[in-house]
Amino acid sequence: MPELTYREAVRDALSRAMREDDDVFIMGEDIAEMGGSMGVTQGMLAEFGPDRVRNTPISEMALVGAGIGAAMQGMRPIVEIMYEDFTTLAMEQIVNQAAKHRYMSGGQVKVPLTIRTQGGAGWSPGAQHAQQVEAWFVHVPGLKVVFASTPSDVRGLLWSSIYDDNPVLFFEHRMLYPVKEEVADELEPVPLGQARVHREGEDVTVIATGRLVHESLAAAAEAEKEGVSVEVVDPRTLQPLDEEALVSSVKKTNRCVVAHEAVVRGGYGAEVAAVVQHQAFDWLDAPIERVGSKFTPIPFAPVMENFVVPDAVDVLEAIRKTVERTGG
Amino acid sequence: MADQVILPRLGQGMESGTIVRWLKSEGDEVQKGEPLFELDTDKVTQEVEADVGGVLLKILVDEGEVPVGTPVAFLGEKGEDLPEVEAAAPTPVEAETEPAAVSAGTDPEQPERVAGPPSGSVPTDGRIKASPLARRIARERGIDLAALTGTGPEGRIVAEDVERADVGGAPKAPARAAATGEVERVELTSLRRTVARRMTEAWAAPAFQIVMSADMTRAQELRARLVERHPDERPTVTDVLTKVCAAALMRHREVNALYAGDAIELHPSANVGIAVATDRGLLVPVISGCELKTVAEIAVARADLVARSREGKLQASDLEGGTFTISNLGMYGVEQFVAVLNPPQAAILAVGAIEDRPVARDGGVVARPMMTLTLTCDHRTIDGATAADFLRTVKEFLEEPGLAL
Repeated sequence: MPELTYREAVRDALSRAMREDDDVFIMGEDIAEMGGSMGVTQGMLAEFGPDRVRNTPISEMALVGAGIGAAMQGMRPIVEIMYEDFTTLAMEQIVNQAAKHRYMSGGQVKVPLTIRTQGGAGWSPGAQHAQQVEAWFVHVPGLKVVFASTPSDVRGLLWSSIYDDNPVLFFEHRMLYPVKEEVADELEPVPLGQARVHREGEDVTVIATGRLVHESLAAAAEAEKEGVSVEVVDPRTLQPLDEEALVSSVKKTNRCVVAHEAVVRGGYGAEVAAVVQHQAFDWLDAPIERVGSKFTPIPFAPVMENFVVPDAVDVLEAIRKTVERTGG
Repeated sequence: MADQVILPRLGQGMESGTIVRWLKSEGDEVQKGEPLFELDTDKVTQEVEADVGGVLLKILVDEGEVPVGTPVAFLGEKGEDLPEVEAAAPTPVEAETEPAAVSAGTDPEQPERVAGPPSGSVPTDGRIKASPLARRIARERGIDLAALTGTGPEGRIVAEDVERADVGGAPKAPARAAATGEVERVELTSLRRTVARRMTEAWAAPAFQIVMSADMTRAQELRARLVERHPDERPTVTDVLTKVCAAALMRHREVNALYAGDAIELHPSANVGIAVATDRGLLVPVISGCELKTVAEIAVARADLVARSREGKLQASDLEGGTFTISNLGMYGVEQFVAVLNPPQAAILAVGAIEDRPVARDGGVVARPMMTLTLTCDHRTIDGATAADFLRTVKEFLEEPGLAL
């Protein structure tokens, strides 16, 4: 089985779809000759040519709007927004157009558009290039939202996103691009709306997304030394959400931590916590703990960034809280 | 402004307390630190002292059980006006009726106030903190959360605490019967209720008993020597037995164990509970770390605990942490008996009187001072052979105390 980095896995999914299907093409800023600012689309111009690997002007609104138009005409475009921070510039197209056309046309028009974007802290990109904004889009009916954390997941989920007939916001994390994982020779699509249990445990369920999946696995290994058995579950798709998988895990462990890099306040973890408390209320033995960034713009200074953004230590602390005893 | 005296929380998990009697009357001057009233909880009776000095202006709760945090009196300056507070009516133990809120304003000059709804008089402090899971398990098994001690953050009752209680709670007391003049009804004290609940719990455990008799010749000799050396402490046979049991428990750690519902806790130290009869009921204060104490030290600890048990002056901490229990009815002439488990402990040893009995020795019959030991064991925690091994060690140590070294 080949080992792919997360970056190569994204490229692999894009390339395979484009090889098999003329309707699939990619658009974005600097994705052609430069291969994308994160190097994801390197080499693709040479293989597929400028008609299918299209550089666009620096206008996220135009870029997404063009993608919507192509999708409505039967293509399966994938557009790249260089940083998820810049989705703000395309908000009108995403929220009011892409998400609404299928509904407002009574199902006559579909928008099979995939909007790839990346972001996240950990390399001092500063306050305007380090945010995690996935929760904004989960709040919009008509959109699907994916956040993959490993190479096999990112490949399989991107494939499913491309072939979904609805607009999909597809989040990648900058710090995960070098992460490696063995993947099957054949691309195995990962259905949207299916969580992945990364590690089984008995005492606490950590529901984590993106980079925090890896931090949570590290925290789980630490917790094990303290005699606490931790289950780590990645929903992978934020909308639709695999509620059944999360709830059944918490019913088993009776304790829950939700962890993401986005700020805690109003974060996706709040939605997960609400689902869990409602469906597993009588199984909870401790308050649900939430892990996320402190409520501030992400600082540029590495030491400050590190202070604001959560890591394995924060997850471990939250795990400990759920199993805490005061004696007696 | 008058100071409220509220019902204090004396220990973790205490949700309510019963005011037994006031030691001061309305109008009395009270110094800070002076005892105000006697408070009975499910574990101990304690005198509650005044946090501030002043005149005891008003007693709101004369006697009876009220939740922790309930205002029970006002202290202040003589003649001072009282703030409006509705006294919580004590809840009679048996009665299922809602407590009727009564107005504190009995001053005839003040207009009568309308009593609020009963719930309004219960402070949020009195609420039982328990996780949803703990509540569900308690509901399903009929366990009374109020009787449990929470070990979660801020004393929250978590599932493990309920699992430890493990069995159906005490059945609800029947409604009060009409007095007949023939039957004397004695109200259950908190202590009596605790004994009832815990013994009922214990009954649900799969218990078994094994019996051995020990020749106490050497143990009595040892005890006589110890009394000579420690005339003040005057160690008893029970003290020797406590020490011997501690030594045996250290060699059979699986008996020095607690049943924790989903696990068996093997404890590193022999914390031996001694059943003490008091006129209030049975108490089991704990002598901790008996394996590290000399017999004389055990005698000192035992004498202190027994004395304070009888005076009703035990602290909650005196009753916690036991890993094994000894119940001795030998002084009453009981030859042998079966003790009921003291959950979650794995075993309890019932000790009878030392009496001369004919025993076979070297082909003949001789009289020997014999004592019968009956070990009651929780079969969820230990098996028969384990119990037998342990009891044989106790017997050997009693017959040849040097072996306990």
